[in-house]
Amino acid sequence: MGDPKEITTIQATTILISTIIGVGVLPLPLFAVRAGETSAPFVTLTGIFLAAVGLFILAYLGMRHPQKTIITYSQDIIGKWLGRIFSIFVIAFFLILTSLAAREFGAVVVTGVLRETPLEVTVIVMLLLASISCRNNINVFSYIHNFYVPMILAPVLIVVAFSLKNANLLYLRPIFLGNDLRGMAAGMLTVSALFQGSFIITMIIPSMKSPKKALKASFWGILISGGLYLLIVIATVAIFGPEEIKQIFWPTLELARTTAVPGNILQRLDIIFLAVWVLAVFTTLFSSYYFTIHSLKELFQLKDHKMLSYFILPFVFFLAMLPQNILHMYEIIQYIGRAGLLITIMYPAFLLIIDFLRSWRRGENVAKQT
Amino acid sequence: MSLFRKKKRNVKKPQLLIPSKAAEEKGDTPTSSSLMVKIKEVKELLGNNEDLQIKQIKIFGQFPAASVCLSSLINQDVLNQDILKPLMYVPEHIKGKEKPINELINLIVTETVYHSQAKVGENMDQLIELMLRGESVIFIDGIKESIHIDTRKIEKRSIAQPETEQVILGPREGFIESILTNIALLRYRLPTPEFQVKTMKIGRLTKSTVAICYLKGIANETVIEEVEKRLSEINIDAILDVGYLEQFIEDNPFSPFPQTQSTERPDKTVANLLEGRVAILVDGSPFSLLVPVVFNQFYQTTEDYSSRFLMGSFVRLARILALVFSLIFPSLYVSLISFNPELLPTEFAVAVAGGRAGVPYPAVIEVLIIEVAMEILREATVRLPKQVGGALSIVGVLVIGQAAVEAGLSSPITVVVIALTTIGSFATPTYTAAFALRMLRFPIMILAGIFGLYGVMIGVIFIFNHMLSLKSFGVPYMAPVSPEDSQGMKDVVIRSPLWWMPKRPQFLRSSNNDRLGLNDNKVLEHNKVGNDQREDAANGGSKGDYNNSSDDDLN
Repeated sequence: MGDPKEITTIQATTILISTIIGVGVLPLPLFAVRAGETSAPFVTLTGIFLAAVGLFILAYLGMRHPQKTIITYSQDIIGKWLGRIFSIFVIAFFLILTSLAAREFGAVVVTGVLRETPLEVTVIVMLLLASISCRNNINVFSYIHNFYVPMILAPVLIVVAFSLKNANLLYLRPIFLGNDLRGMAAGMLTVSALFQGSFIITMIIPSMKSPKKALKASFWGILISGGLYLLIVIATVAIFGPEEIKQIFWPTLELARTTAVPGNILQRLDIIFLAVWVLAVFTTLFSSYYFTIHSLKELFQLKDHKMLSYFILPFVFFLAMLPQNILHMYEIIQYIGRAGLLITIMYPAFLLIIDFLRSWRRGENVAKQT
Repeated sequence: MSLFRKKKRNVKKPQLLIPSKAAEEKGDTPTSSSLMVKIKEVKELLGNNEDLQIKQIKIFGQFPAASVCLSSLINQDVLNQDILKPLMYVPEHIKGKEKPINELINLIVTETVYHSQAKVGENMDQLIELMLRGESVIFIDGIKESIHIDTRKIEKRSIAQPETEQVILGPREGFIESILTNIALLRYRLPTPEFQVKTMKIGRLTKSTVAICYLKGIANETVIEEVEKRLSEINIDAILDVGYLEQFIEDNPFSPFPQTQSTERPDKTVANLLEGRVAILVDGSPFSLLVPVVFNQFYQTTEDYSSRFLMGSFVRLARILALVFSLIFPSLYVSLISFNPELLPTEFAVAVAGGRAGVPYPAVIEVLIIEVAMEILREATVRLPKQVGGALSIVGVLVIGQAAVEAGLSSPITVVVIALTTIGSFATPTYTAAFALRMLRFPIMILAGIFGLYGVMIGVIFIFNHMLSLKSFGVPYMAPVSPEDSQGMKDVVIRSPLWWMPKRPQFLRSSNNDRLGLNDNKVLEHNKVGNDQREDAANGGSKGDYNNSSDDDLN
């Protein structure tokens, strides 16, 4: 760890925001509506709460071990080998997450903008961009996230603001229980799976100037990104209504398409929206890619992560090409997302409990000795 | 192979007398006391030169001596009036005094010669070097030591308005080639003991004087040390301009972005010194080099600060827009035309399509052709003699542009786009930064030709990531924006009023941050003027002046 600890609380917050807001925003209203019909916003809200719980657990764990990431402190808590095995799971999960994000974005670009370009090309370009940027150290990583956040938030807010004039509040009722509970629970899991990027906090804490403020950073991070997600769901549902949304793959993109800028400067907004959206996807991809190679570095106790950056590129690309089509891809994404919750929420919770027990027992031992 | 080498090494080369080496060999041995020997030695080394001037004299009419100098470098008047005259014509006050030969040197330096820079030297090596720098040396028969006097006079141009950075409001002075004048220009703006100038000699042959200027207590010590370290490691035969130094000390030589700022303006240099930067001057170059830099200072000018803040902010916004234009405007055009014409309003799209009807190439090729033509034109205009330049550039732009459109080589809108871009790149005040963006325009254009808007975004993200990863002497390149710094942010997009910026920007890690003093004003108590206008006038503010000791209670 040769880098100075320079990441401020604001930077940690912005890293979380830009990591969480990613390609998942495009199909989010669809997921929410499928699960909750008119109560999609409520489903989203519960999903955000679940994700927040997971994030707070991680942040708390990180604060208890301010010098280490989950890869290293898990070895302290549950033993060297068990910790390593779980770490491999975590890394593999993020490898898959990276490739799926790249693939999903590639699919959006190919259907939305570049209809004649092969999917492989758009995906590989994005991955190359991420892998080259990953060769920087963690401070530059945080500068990059910090820099892009306003540009990620702005287009969504603009689109939502301009589109709200067509909103119909009736589409949002009933607010609670628009669907049966089982479906809503599943939707909640899917939505909170979209927040899995927040796992990155565990990598940031050791490089923070004051790791004590990790909880504050994660609170603001989830508040802003969650608020944005909720806003998008409310806006799309209020404009299209649940039935129509079910027919659309990317309701958010459709939302951008229906908005017109006053003055007719540009005829369509969706392409500009997508273009700026490249940023959001890049930051998400960048985070999960960086987390993967950084964790690999820690797992194998290497000195430098730069080499790994190009090394895992073919694997990510291969994984990204596995789904056969968009439908298949979204099936996988939902499945992987829910399964991933085991890794991103259950595993840290399990670690935290054991950590508590251990420190409690240690405290008891100390008490006995004295 | 090794056999061959050994053989080669044994072959004796014909001895070539290289003056500097010969002088070096003599270096440690003091000059002999005989005048004739000394003159012979000098002639051996410099005898071929027409301007070597040896004048044999008799000091006070009794001691044989010689004044030796290079006549092209010295001020003859000074030599005649202040040196030779008192030596040959015995001054009143020492007439009749006993003049023993062993105290002659002392007598001459302290009582005879009217010159503040008279010194005593002994080694021939050193004396020759001084002679080459414009000093006159007086050899005296029978004495080992010699006197050398600074009689240097070099022609220099007068101080003129800087050519590359002109302003409407603000000082008109620019640096010139002579480093002493340049330091004087800085000193007169900073009459404070904090202003320090360290000098060193770089360049084996040119032995150029390099000055490191900074404000002690304001500039960060580690930066100063780093600058000295990097400079001291340079080993090259010649330093002809600060540009040579820049290439040796910058952090990432392969980056298109400049990581040092060079300026012709003394006021700009002083402003930067006051922010905590270090300036490097080189003898013979009218530019000072400022480190560390951040990107935003490349679109700032001194004028922003000397004009009122609304004016300054407005102009700065325009400049930022021009910067963005010069980077992505042509590629946006290419991607809109060839990939997403549906984004344009219908009427305009029809007009564009009409204009492009006769053009045989895809938009990206068309734009590239015109861009390359524009680059050539621009380069040519710089080289052209002044008298022809103006006329020819108009001919070039108007006639070629018009002809290209009529010949069906490009559409009129392409010409408009390229013209806007070119003008935009001239609006950036720093030549080097404008150049970086000018270069980067081409790869983005090609990306736009392949991937449309997606390609433009990829290119822009790539450039930003690169900029975010750059560092200049330990300071992140995009500093006040990311990593964020609230003090610095006030001076990035807009130029905040001076009283909003009571502290120096933090990213330079200056050891003293206070810019404004807490100064209650008595004259206009009813009205908030001056320092009182700032928000936290009651509690903030500096103690005393720039002084670090903080306890002196000046206010």
